[in-house]
Amino acid sequence: MRIACRPLFAGGMSAAFALTLGLFAAEPARADTVLTLVAADYGTGPADSSQIYWQKIADAFHAANPSITVKVQTVNWNDFDTKIQTMVQNRQYPDVTEGDYFSNYAQEGLLYKASDVLSDPSNLMPAFKTLGSYEGVQYGMPFTTSSRAMFYNKKLFAQAGIAAPPKTWDELMTDAGKIEALGKIGYGMPLGPEEAQAETFLWLLGNGGGFQTADGKWDINSPQNVETLDFMTKLVKAGDTEPNPGTKNRAVILEQFAQGQVGMLNGLTALLPIIKQAGVLKDSDWGTAPIAGKTGPLDTTLGVCDFIAAFKTDGSKQEAIKKFLDFAMQDQYQVDFAQEYNLLPGTTSGAAAFVKVDPALASFVDALPKAVQYPNSPVWAQVKTQIQQLIGTAIGPHPKAVLDSIQQTALKGS
Amino acid sequence: MSATTLRPKPWPWQRLVYAGLAYIVAAIFLLPYLEMIVSALRPANEMLARTYLPSHFDISAFFNIWKTGFGQHLRISLEVASGSTLLVLLVAIPAAYYTARQRFRGRGAFMLLVLVTQMFQPTAMLVGLYREFLDFGMLDSVVALILVNAGFNMAFAVWILNAYVSAIPAELEEAAFIDGSSRIGALFRITLPLALPGIVTALIFTFISAWNEFIVALTLTTSSATEPLTVALNSYIGQYQVDWSHLFAGSVIATIPVIILFALIEGKVVGGLTAGSIK
Amino acid sequence: MSLSTLEQGVVAQKRHRPTRFFSRLGPVLWVGPAVLLIAGVVLWPVVIMIETAFQNISPDGFIRGWAGWRNFVFLWQEPDLTGILVRTVIWVATIVVCTMLISLALAQLFNQKFPGRRAARWALIAPWAASVMMTAIVFRWGLDANNGVINVFLHDIGLLARFNSEASDWLGSPGSAFAWMIVVAIFVSVPFSTYALLAGLQSIPSDVYEAARVDGAGVWRTYLGITLPLLRPAFIVALLINVMNVFNSFPIIWEMTRGGPGHQTSTTTTFMYQLKQSYIGESAAMSVVNFGLVLLIVLVYLRVTVWKSGTAEP
Repeated sequence: MRIACRPLFAGGMSAAFALTLGLFAAEPARADTVLTLVAADYGTGPADSSQIYWQKIADAFHAANPSITVKVQTVNWNDFDTKIQTMVQNRQYPDVTEGDYFSNYAQEGLLYKASDVLSDPSNLMPAFKTLGSYEGVQYGMPFTTSSRAMFYNKKLFAQAGIAAPPKTWDELMTDAGKIEALGKIGYGMPLGPEEAQAETFLWLLGNGGGFQTADGKWDINSPQNVETLDFMTKLVKAGDTEPNPGTKNRAVILEQFAQGQVGMLNGLTALLPIIKQAGVLKDSDWGTAPIAGKTGPLDTTLGVCDFIAAFKTDGSKQEAIKKFLDFAMQDQYQVDFAQEYNLLPGTTSGAAAFVKVDPALASFVDALPKAVQYPNSPVWAQVKTQIQQLIGTAIGPHPKAVLDSIQQTALKGS
Repeated sequence: MSATTLRPKPWPWQRLVYAGLAYIVAAIFLLPYLEMIVSALRPANEMLARTYLPSHFDISAFFNIWKTGFGQHLRISLEVASGSTLLVLLVAIPAAYYTARQRFRGRGAFMLLVLVTQMFQPTAMLVGLYREFLDFGMLDSVVALILVNAGFNMAFAVWILNAYVSAIPAELEEAAFIDGSSRIGALFRITLPLALPGIVTALIFTFISAWNEFIVALTLTTSSATEPLTVALNSYIGQYQVDWSHLFAGSVIATIPVIILFALIEGKVVGGLTAGSIK
Repeated sequence: MSLSTLEQGVVAQKRHRPTRFFSRLGPVLWVGPAVLLIAGVVLWPVVIMIETAFQNISPDGFIRGWAGWRNFVFLWQEPDLTGILVRTVIWVATIVVCTMLISLALAQLFNQKFPGRRAARWALIAPWAASVMMTAIVFRWGLDANNGVINVFLHDIGLLARFNSEASDWLGSPGSAFAWMIVVAIFVSVPFSTYALLAGLQSIPSDVYEAARVDGAGVWRTYLGITLPLLRPAFIVALLINVMNVFNSFPIIWEMTRGGPGHQTSTTTTFMYQLKQSYIGESAAMSVVNFGLVLLIVLVYLRVTVWKSGTAEP
């Protein structure tokens, strides 16, 4: 063909080619959705990293829904909050997150309502609805939960001549003293920076106190709380606990309990595999009981919950997210997670299925509906950090000063 | 240090005293790492036993640790350390050579920059580093770690290499010029081989510094898949449990590449430092 | 290396230079990458850090505008700040002084000839080869109140009555924890300083000692009058690097106590990191203060070396 026509002809051919390709390519490109999931890592190392758990679900989901791919990313707990903040700041919103829930993202209208992305939001544990809500609407969906109980070493109790686990603080002190006389730690009190807020909360509850009043006002330095810290100081000074509780994290105390060195502590289900692994205590050597309060045992417990949240971005992926969440929140996966990490499920049906599989943990599951939770406030994150860093120093002659400064942090707001 | 004919021979017992003291010092410096090895060899149920040595040695931790994805972290550390070292050498050698041989405008300023920034450590500017790489979207990347480690070791490398190159007479290169060689040719064939001890010193310092670097890696990585060894080992200290045996086994394994590197270049390190202190 | 030789070298280079433009580009090509790397990775973060110190950043990390001097005011009002500053001074002074003294002695020792010298020198490299973080973890393990090997030893020789007691909890109370962390810091700082001083010792020609001996100088006199002055350059370098390392020291305190309880074993560096968790602006303000102190030390060093040697550069 003539040279002048060649470019024209070539151009025409390539255009036709491209159009044909485009017609074929357009179809799958339009239907293929990619969801990003950012989850907190509950594992202790790569072998039990939550990446494995979520990838399994993502793969199974993709097999069932080939047009939707889920990209899984796990972040360790220390960095989780920052990671999500970063993504939000850069407007690179994740589609689904699993971990902490932030009411301020709901405040800024970034999240889907739970009812938008779940077929059956009523299956989510009602006890944790408020914690995941903003202005009465639920955005955070409970995924995994835990509750606390007092663990005690039956063998040490028998040795020390204690008939039954303590119900009041005074009984606790006496019993701890008896166990100390045996050369063991009476009561294990982890007030180290890792999760001091949990241990603190349980003690504050014991005196009818807490972090906030019933109508949501910060009340950290209330007279009851000061009284509680005074008692805790008395307990520590009497030598009934491990030395310097403000520097001891849970890992140390839990391990020592598993080794039979500790008489009692406020623990959670994650302690069970640690006991098994240590191989020192038989099942009959330890038991659980309600946590002791000032005048009687607590009828509530601390319930902790981690949430799933779904980000709107441009609103185009709602269907895909709904499909994925319905899939991921099935009972079998809830039970899998609970068993893998020794926590409890976040859905009611999941919890029922879990109790069938692991009846020993039934009492923990039963305690969940009555559980009290951490304050649902945007400023809780700062207050939590302050408590973690400083509460150890409240064990001493001036607990009020420390509580005052934490109260200030709360009132200062964000 | 050679003895002259006039110097009296030291008493034999003097040597023994020196040797004895030195061995005690050496033992003190090795003891903690011995404890690390012994603890890594403790069986799980004797981890918290109050004994110096376990009843028997259990090497399973050294094998099990690979199942926990340790290899991935090892690889990342290798990438970061070798990448940083390579980058430092690639950039510092030309800069040091040119600065040592050539007077150019800004030479004084550059030497001052090198001197001053040698004092800076990433710890002092973590917040800035974090926000900078955040803005560039380079968190959780090996490249970011390579850049930071290279950047902070650059000044020391330039300083050492400059001292070394300055000590090599320019006549040697000049002879090569007369023979028709280019500047770069002279650099490769004459100067670099002679400056090898300095290069090796800079290499070692950078590699070890990048290999053992902790806080920057901790700050710039958020997911466990992108952590180098130091951060990964730190995460064996978990929420509910401390995985002591894997922690110590991993620490021992992490020391091996460094030891190998030392074995390859022993003797040159002290020489390298000598040149650096002659100002 | 005389100027004329250098000039000859430049002349020789000129003969082979293709164009004048290329030679103008010379510094940029040869030195430019180094400058770029340092500027981008070392200097730019300083700029950002200073900027952040004056910004109002919400605890969630959202930048909300400028804060003027507010972050610095908050920092100043921190109740624990005095303690932290005092502790930082104690930390740096104690460690550096002890390290330099011990290193002087060890360098002298390892400079002598004795059998097994090489092996002993090698052992000294161990803390440098293992990371500081690992060393800190091993010491923390050894000081464990329940079963740490140091406590086991003390128990065996009768100095420790009971495990899990106040006496065995070295890292629990701020005083003993800080003391032990200083010990660990000295432990990890000594190897580098010893080697630097050893290099300095080996560069002293032996005829100097010969002359001193012929003049009848005693061991101590020789050391003070000859060795130390000649060691000065190596000593100052080692001192400066030590001060910088110790001031910026993070892994030891972080791994052994996290700066706790509260902030009672924190130095300015770990405090900066603790603040970073919630109050980034204040943390940046602390960083700026830290950085200012670093600059001060650098300036002091420059004055000392410039004044002493009379030249401004190596």
